Amino acid sequence: MKTHSLWLGSLRQPVRKLMISFITLTVVMFGVILVSNLFSEEFLGVHEMIRPEGRPMVGIMLFLLAGTMLTSSIYLSDTVESIEGHPQGFFDILSLVVSRAAMILTALTVLVMFYEVVLRYLFSAPTLWANELSLWMASFIFLFAGQYAMQQRSHIRIYVIYDLMPRWMQKAADVLSCFLIIFFAFALVWGNYADALRRFTRMETFGTAWDPPIPGIVKPAILIIIVLVAIQAVSNLIADWNKAPESHSPMDDIDQEEIEQIRRTLEK
Amino acid sequence: MEFLELFSWMKVSDVATLSIVLLIGMFILLAIGMPLGFASAFLAVAVIVMKFGPEISFRNFGSGPLSVLAQAVYRQMTNYVLISIPLFIFMAALLERSGIARDMYNSLNMWLSRTRGGIAIVTSLMAVIMAAMSGIIGGEVVLLGLIALPQMLRLGYNQNLAIGTICASGSLGTMIPPSIVLIFYGLVTETSIKALFTASFLPGFILAGLIMLYIFIRTRINPSLAPLPEAAPDDPEGLEKGLRFIGFVAKFALYVMSVVLLRTVLLTITGQNNPEILDEPLRWGMVSDLPFQIGFVVAMVVIMRFLVGKERTAEGWEMGRGLVAPIIVIGVVLGSIYMGITGITEAAGMGVIAVFVLGVIRREMSFEVVWDALVRTLKSTGTIIWVTIGAAALAAAYTLAGGPTYVANMIVAADLPTMGIILTMMVIFLIMGMFMDWVGIVLLIMPVFLPIVLKLPVEELGYFGATLEPRQVAIWFGVVFCMNMQVSFLSPPFGPAAFYLKSVAPAHITLTQIFRGFLPFICLQLIALSLLVVWPELVTLLLD
Repeated sequence: MKTHSLWLGSLRQPVRKLMISFITLTVVMFGVILVSNLFSEEFLGVHEMIRPEGRPMVGIMLFLLAGTMLTSSIYLSDTVESIEGHPQGFFDILSLVVSRAAMILTALTVLVMFYEVVLRYLFSAPTLWANELSLWMASFIFLFAGQYAMQQRSHIRIYVIYDLMPRWMQKAADVLSCFLIIFFAFALVWGNYADALRRFTRMETFGTAWDPPIPGIVKPAILIIIVLVAIQAVSNLIADWNKAPESHSPMDDIDQEEIEQIRRTLEK
Repeated sequence: MEFLELFSWMKVSDVATLSIVLLIGMFILLAIGMPLGFASAFLAVAVIVMKFGPEISFRNFGSGPLSVLAQAVYRQMTNYVLISIPLFIFMAALLERSGIARDMYNSLNMWLSRTRGGIAIVTSLMAVIMAAMSGIIGGEVVLLGLIALPQMLRLGYNQNLAIGTICASGSLGTMIPPSIVLIFYGLVTETSIKALFTASFLPGFILAGLIMLYIFIRTRINPSLAPLPEAAPDDPEGLEKGLRFIGFVAKFALYVMSVVLLRTVLLTITGQNNPEILDEPLRWGMVSDLPFQIGFVVAMVVIMRFLVGKERTAEGWEMGRGLVAPIIVIGVVLGSIYMGITGITEAAGMGVIAVFVLGVIRREMSFEVVWDALVRTLKSTGTIIWVTIGAAALAAAYTLAGGPTYVANMIVAADLPTMGIILTMMVIFLIMGMFMDWVGIVLLIMPVFLPIVLKLPVEELGYFGATLEPRQVAIWFGVVFCMNMQVSFLSPPFGPAAFYLKSVAPAHITLTQIFRGFLPFICLQLIALSLLVVWPELVTLLLD
């Protein structure tokens, strides 16, 4: 991982310190909750974690978790891997930040599943929340991954004819593509705004024992992220406007850096 | 809304015109280089507007028939099985960066070094084992290309044979469970993924067997294609090697059974396997299983000590050690699914944990390796997710417009021969596979094709063997589709396996040469495919 800063500049070290303090405080708070569960009358489990009303400890814990996610995502977005290319568009940084959040969530999903399987299989004591928590996190992994893929331009496209076109026609095709994406985002919001708003204001829940507000959160999130994706598409169009005509081959999809790394692993 | 009335011509009353407009629209948008996911997403809007007319679609802000689209997207975003996709990709990315594959190759090579065509067969075997660990291709071809290709070329193997073996075997990743292609097929068609996995075992092994048989026969007919390496001085000979192999297997079985035995003992001590508190007996965990488990352990010890000998067992273990890690990973992933411990998604999660823990034991894991794997995972997930979103929206819109039913009825009413329709579909899959990624085909074409197949008279499917049961048709078709996609990984001009191999092969090997090397292997794949088509029972033999 390269150490030079991508966009935080002189803020990099402060953000790093903030991230470390958030992580430390989160761990401490987790410990405090565990200990207080042993002695206090009131038990704070995952069930209580999404119901902060009247439970100041839960409120603090959620705040710390959010702070950890945010600062880690921002800090980690300050460096890019070689496969990611250098961001050029005006909207790229935001997409990178959400991609980092999605990467952290992917790792967390694995841990949650592991916890569930261990509890269920070794201790015959399955949790009520692990499946739904994975589902909740995964919906954000998918949405953020979509935005990230847009920023990375890693789409499945067919270039056979596109590559034959002169540059002005390619540009025209790109503009049309971009316009159609915006139209899709527009249509999606048009058809669902009321529904999403209703579910959000009611904080519609999943209707299970743990009962997380998955529809209440994910439905509006879909609309918001589709709009962000459309903005990212415009950003890409502007950033790519003056690029020379490109020709594509499936070779482009192969990541030489990755192969170098595998080679090094094999030679160890 | 007078403005909208200007567009009222957009409303299309009959499904036929709508379908044709959709098809032409898709062709045009893909031709101008629009990403597949967005093209589908936009066409989904277009289908809704054509079906209901712009006036109804855009009359009230915030609601209307367009809400179908976000509903479809929401269903995919909260689909529990879909989570297995990033997890399987994550697992494969971690696996790539560990030396597990290299050690496995060395172990397999030790056992088979004196066999003619040995390295080629080792490559295929290794590909099968890797295919059972993870469900994606790409990484597999790269690994085999880096490990096995230099060896084969150095020994003077025929270049075409070497190339074809690596790529054809490396593509098996999506044929042998777990397979990301079958997961998507199951998602789209709402077929049981576990049943799909079970059904694809046999066809997968048939294809792998064909590849190995081909190597075996060709190198017997023409030994110059695969020269034997010089015998290493301390390399044990035939029977001795066999004994060591038995020693290795016995020792490994001993370890596995000891773990199972330990679990049974623990369960007995804690009283968790008390038959009175259980609804159904725990598999391999009841008190009544103890005598067998203890007997098995004793038998293995006897084999190791007296049949094989202590020293040979130790040598055998040393030779075979590289196989242990892959078998553990396979055990965790497929074991989780088939022992009924977890579903597909959690099995993928457990696979990630298994690879990670093995990597930590082998001192190969670090924050950088895991982070790098996560970046790659998210990038691949994002690519697939766009097609999923677009295709889900399009399929929902087109179904609402009555498209699939219309097409199915039209084809069934045309009274064409059943196998003729199936063959046409196969040809369409093969041609589309040449230009399009499998994920696009499964998401866009399956919602149209499968309803047709399900409406065909079931007794006319295939020529040999017992008739399928109606509920097995979707499973059979999924496996057939999966086999079709095997061809697409190798078929020119865009077969991805060729490009993966090109990126790791010596510079003098050109793409044309690579594709030429594929030809016999594509024929093998087509043979396997025709077997499945004419003899559907093959798919259902392992299903209960």
